[in-house]
Amino acid sequence: MATENRDKEEEEVKTDDGSPKIKPRPIVQLGIFLISHSPVFSVVFSAAGVMALLLLPLLAKNTYISENALMPGSARSMLSHRDVSDGSKLVNDIKSFRLNHEGQGVEVQRLIGNYMLEMGAEVSYQKFQPEGNHFHPLHFFSGPASYTNLGNVSCAAYGVNVAGIIRAPRGDGKESIVLVTPYDFLNGGDYEALSLGIASSLFSLLARVTWLSKDIIWLVADSRYGDYRPVAAWLTEYHTPSFEVSDLSKCDELNPSDSFRRAGTVAAALVVKVDGRSERFEDTLSIYAEASNGQMPNLDLINVVNYLAVHRQGFYVKVEKVVSLLSSSWLKTVGEIFEAVGKVARSLNPDWKFGIPAADYLEGSATLASSLYSQALGIPTGPHGAFRDYQVDAITLKVSPRFPPDSKGRQHEFCLRGAQLLEGTIRSVNNLLEKFHQSFFLYLLTSPGKFISVGVYMIAFALLVAPLPMVAASLYIDGCTTQNPAENLKSWKWLDAAKQVFALHLLGFIVTLLPYLICQVPGEQSPTNRSIIWATTSSSLLLITFVTVPGCSPFSSRLHGTNWAVLKSVTISAAFIGLCLMSIINFATAEIGALLLVPMCLMVRPIRPDLRSRRVKSLVRALCSMVLVTIGFPVMFFAISKGLIGEGLVGLGLGGEFWTWLESLWAWKSATYLYIGMVHLPCWLLCLCILFHPS
Amino acid sequence: MTKDDGEMVEEQKKKPCRFWIWALSSVLFRLILISYAGNLNLSSRPEVSTPLTSIRRLAEGYWLKQASMSPYAGSMYHGSPLLLSLLGPLTVQRIKGQPSHLFCSLVFVIADILSAILLRGIGKKLQMAYGLNARLLGLLKSPRDKAGILPCGDIAALVYLWNPFTIVCCVGLSTSPIENLAVILALNGAVTRRVPLAAFGLVMATHLSLYPAILTIPVIFLLGYGLDAPPLKLFLQTRNVESGNRSSTSSASKQAKSKPTAQLPFLWKTVVHFVFWALVWSLCVMVLCRLSLSKHGGLEEMFKRTYGFILSIEDLSPNIGVFWYFFAEVFDFFRNFFLIVFHVNILFMLLPLAIRLKHRPCFLAFIYLAISSLLKSYPSVGDSALYLSLWALFVNELADMKFSFFLFCGYLGVSLLSPVMHNLWIWRGTGNANFYFGNAIGYACFQIVFVVESVSAMLNHDRALKKCNPNHQKVKN
Repeated sequence: MATENRDKEEEEVKTDDGSPKIKPRPIVQLGIFLISHSPVFSVVFSAAGVMALLLLPLLAKNTYISENALMPGSARSMLSHRDVSDGSKLVNDIKSFRLNHEGQGVEVQRLIGNYMLEMGAEVSYQKFQPEGNHFHPLHFFSGPASYTNLGNVSCAAYGVNVAGIIRAPRGDGKESIVLVTPYDFLNGGDYEALSLGIASSLFSLLARVTWLSKDIIWLVADSRYGDYRPVAAWLTEYHTPSFEVSDLSKCDELNPSDSFRRAGTVAAALVVKVDGRSERFEDTLSIYAEASNGQMPNLDLINVVNYLAVHRQGFYVKVEKVVSLLSSSWLKTVGEIFEAVGKVARSLNPDWKFGIPAADYLEGSATLASSLYSQALGIPTGPHGAFRDYQVDAITLKVSPRFPPDSKGRQHEFCLRGAQLLEGTIRSVNNLLEKFHQSFFLYLLTSPGKFISVGVYMIAFALLVAPLPMVAASLYIDGCTTQNPAENLKSWKWLDAAKQVFALHLLGFIVTLLPYLICQVPGEQSPTNRSIIWATTSSSLLLITFVTVPGCSPFSSRLHGTNWAVLKSVTISAAFIGLCLMSIINFATAEIGALLLVPMCLMVRPIRPDLRSRRVKSLVRALCSMVLVTIGFPVMFFAISKGLIGEGLVGLGLGGEFWTWLESLWAWKSATYLYIGMVHLPCWLLCLCILFHPS
Repeated sequence: MTKDDGEMVEEQKKKPCRFWIWALSSVLFRLILISYAGNLNLSSRPEVSTPLTSIRRLAEGYWLKQASMSPYAGSMYHGSPLLLSLLGPLTVQRIKGQPSHLFCSLVFVIADILSAILLRGIGKKLQMAYGLNARLLGLLKSPRDKAGILPCGDIAALVYLWNPFTIVCCVGLSTSPIENLAVILALNGAVTRRVPLAAFGLVMATHLSLYPAILTIPVIFLLGYGLDAPPLKLFLQTRNVESGNRSSTSSASKQAKSKPTAQLPFLWKTVVHFVFWALVWSLCVMVLCRLSLSKHGGLEEMFKRTYGFILSIEDLSPNIGVFWYFFAEVFDFFRNFFLIVFHVNILFMLLPLAIRLKHRPCFLAFIYLAISSLLKSYPSVGDSALYLSLWALFVNELADMKFSFFLFCGYLGVSLLSPVMHNLWIWRGTGNANFYFGNAIGYACFQIVFVVESVSAMLNHDRALKKCNPNHQKVKN
C-alpha cells in the first residue's frame, strides 16, 4: 500500500514540475515565440523604428489652442500711436545718451528706470555677477539654485538689471507676467534698442489699462555677459532671496535703499529680441522654445503667439531648422516616395490623407531635426531657458525687421506691430485662471503651426528599443543552457557578467566626474591639453580595471572570462534600462543615443570565431560590428558629425574641440553629458569587450 | 540582490577574513557618503523617509517636547517616544563644519553593523542546520563534505551592508535601520533560542512600526519547532529505511530524534516562556512611554498618534507604496471600508502561509516581511533592504530560483526610475501623479513576482529533496 501511495505521489510531482502535456498560457507562448525568433524581430523592429522616425513629419498635427480661457485675438488692440511715440522717444534718448557719454556707468539703466517711474511703475535695480564655467559634479543632482556662490566678489565685473513692475488694478498681486528685453548697455546696437522701444510702448499702455489682473514685470536684462546669465540671476533673486548682504552691494553707485521688488508667481514670460535685418520680404518672427534638458514650454503659449503673429500682425513666423538638410538629396527622395505613396493611397480611398508634398516634408524634417538636436543637446536656446527651471512657461521671440535700422517711418510701424503682438499675448495670458496645463509639454515642432506629440514620437523610440529585451532574453537562455546543466547555481550565472558590467559602469561614472578634477589642475590649460590629460587618465583607469577585476578584460584567459552570451545579455539589459531612463529625462538624447547604441549592441559578437571560419556571412558580420563599434565611440561620432557639417578635424585639434563641446554641456547642466559618460561609454566599452572576447 | 553577491559567493570560500574587509569597506563607504549628505539631499526623498521614519520630523518632535508641548502636536512626529528620547538629543548636537545630524548618522551606521552581525549569526545557525539536515537525509555523505553549502550568513550580512537601499536609508537619515535592527534582533534571539532577547526584539519592533507584530507567528514556530528544516515526512522515510536496515541511527537533530509519529513535538514550555517575556517587555515599554508622555496625554495619545496614524493612513504624501494614491482618490464615506479591506489583505495571507511553511519558520518570517513591506501604509526602501537580506539567508535553498536576472533588472530599473518620475512631477511640472504612481505599481509588481518566485523555489526545493533522496529511491525499488 505504502509503495502505491508513493508512486502516486511521484506522478503528482511530475505534473507539478510541468510535464510537456500542460500548455503554457498564450502570453507566455507569445513571449517564447518572440524570444525564439529574436533575430528576425530585432531587424524588423529596428527598421520599423527608423522608418517611424522618418515618418514623423507626415504624422505632425496642426496646433490648436487647447485652453479656452486664452481667447487670443478676441479683443481689439488698445495700443495707440502715442504709446509708440513714447517708446521711440526712449530709444532716441538712449541713443543720444550713449553718443554723449562713454563708459561703464549705470546711467542708461537709470534713464530707463526713470522712464518706468514716469509711467507709474515700481522700479528696482539688481546687481549680478557673471558666472564662470564651474563644473561641480553634485550640481547635476540638486535642484535649481540650491547652492549659492558667495565669496570672491570683484567690483570690476558686474551687471545691473532694471525691473519695473506695474501692479494690476484687478489683481490681488499673486500672479505676474514677465517681459524680458535683453540689452547690452555697453555696446548694444540700434536693432537691440528697438526691442526696448517695443517693450516700453507696451509698458506705457499697460500702465493705463483697466483689464490687467496679473502684475506686469518688465525686466531689462543687462546682456553684456550673455543673454542667459542676467535673467537667471534675476530669477534666482526673485525666487530664493538671500538674506546675507552680498559684497556686491558695496561696490556701487546706486543707492542701496532700492530693495528688490517682487510680484506674485510668474504665470508666463516672454523674451523679446530684435535681431538683424530679415532676409525675407516680410518682418520675421522666430520662436525659440527649448529650455535645458529638452524641456519645452506649454504648447499653448507658442500657439497663442503663432496665431496672433500670423493672423493679426502678418509676421512671417519660423522656428529654427537645419539648413543643410534642405538641400540633401536622399531626404528629398524619401519625401518624394512618401508623396507618391500618399497619392496612391488617396486614389484607393479619398479619406486617407497622409501624404504631404515633398517640399513640405523636407521643410518639416529639417525643422524636426533642429528641434531634436537642440532638445538633445540640453542647452537652452535663449534666456527663456532660465524660466523653465522654475516651472514657468517662457519663449524667446526674435523679431527681424525688413528695413535698415535708421528708417524712422518704418520703425514706428514695426514697433506698433511688435507691441500689438505682445499686447495680444499678454492679454491672453492675463485671461488665464490656472497655470498652463491644458496643452502639451512634451512635443517636437515640425513648423510653427505643426507639432508631434509625445504619444506619436514615443512609438519610434519604443520600436527601436523593443528588440533589446527580446535579444537579452534569448541570449540569456542560450548562455545558461549551453553549459553543463548539472552545475550548481545555474540560475545565478549572470552574476559574473553583472559584476563586469557594474565595474565598467563604475568606471564610466568616474570618467564622467574626472573633468572636475582636471579643471582643478593649476595653470591655464588649453582644451587640447585638458583633453589629453582626460584621455590618458581614463585609459589608465581602464587598464587598472582590466587588471584588478578578474574576468573583466577581453584579453584574460578563457577560464576567467565569462560566457559572452550572458555578458552580452547583461550589457543589453543595462543599455535598455539606461535608454529608457534617458527617454524620460530627455527624449531627444535617448532617440539619438538609441540610433547609435541599439545597432551596436545587437550586432556585436566575438570576432575571433567569425574570422576563423572565413565564411562570407561571418566576415560581413564581423565587419559590420567593427564599423558600428568604431562609429559608436563618442569622440568618433563627434568627429563624423563635425565632418558631415563640413568642419573636418583630425588629430589633437579634435580632442580640444570635443573637450570644449563637453564643457558647454556640463556648464549648462545638460543630462546628455551624464548619458554619454554613464550609459553610452560603458556600453561601448562592454561591446568592445564582447568583440574581442576570447571564445 | 546587490552586484557584490556573486563576488561574495566565490570569495567567501577562500578567505574568511574577506568578510571583514568587505564589511569595513561598506562602513567606510557610508562614512564618505555621510560627509556629502548635505549635497545628496537624500533625507528629503520620499523613497527614503516616510512620515514615520523621517529624521526631520523626529527633530521637530524633540523640539516640541523641549518646549514642553506634546511631541505629537501638529501631526509632525508619529514615531515612538522612546526613540525620541534616544535620538532626540543627538539631533541638536552639531559640530561646526560637519554636516548636521552627524551623530544620528553614526548611530544609524552602528545599527547597520549590528544588524549585519546578527544576520551573520542567524545565517551560521541556518547553515549548520542545512548541513545537518542534508546529512540526515543522506544527501551529504560525510560531515566534511561541505563544499556545496554556501556561507549564507556572510552572504546575507554583506547583502545587507552593501545593498544600495540600506546605504541610502542609512545616509538619508531615516530611522528604518533601527526598526530593521529590532526585527533582526527578534529573529536572532529566536534562532539562537535566547527567549528574552527574541521577546525584546519583537516587542521593540512592534512598538516602533507595528507591522512586525505579525512576526509573532514565525518566532513562536522557531521557538516551538526549531530551525528551518525539510518537511518531517522526509525524515520519517529516512528513519524508516534506516531502522529497517540497521538497528541504531547516528546522532541526530531534534527532528530525527523524535519518535516516528506524524507530528513534531511542540515545545510549549519555551513558548510560554516567550509569551511571559513578551508581556514583561511590553509592560516595560508601556511604563517608559507613559513616563515620557505623562504630561502630554499619556498612552492613549501615543497609540492614537502612532498606530492610529499607521492604520488610518492620514498622510497622503507620495511614497513608493500604493495606498496614498488610492486614498487620495477614494470618497470619504467609503474610506473606512477600504481601510479595512486594505489592512485585512495582510492578515488574510498570514494563516495559509503559516500552514504551508510551518517547517521553515525563518523563511516564513522573510515572506511575512516582504508582504508587509508591499502592503504597508508608509513603505520605504529600508523595508525592502530588510527582506532582501533575509532572502539571502536562503541562498542554498533558493539556488534555482527562476527569473532572478529579470527581477534584478526590474528592481534596478524601478529604483532608478522613481527619482526621475518624482522630478518630472514635482520639479519640472511636465508629469503628474500618475507617473510616480505608475512607478510604484511597477515596484509592487516586481515585489509580488519576487515573493511568488521565492516561495515556489522553496517548495520546489523541498520536492527536489524528496526526489533525490536516495532512501526514497530504495523504498521504491
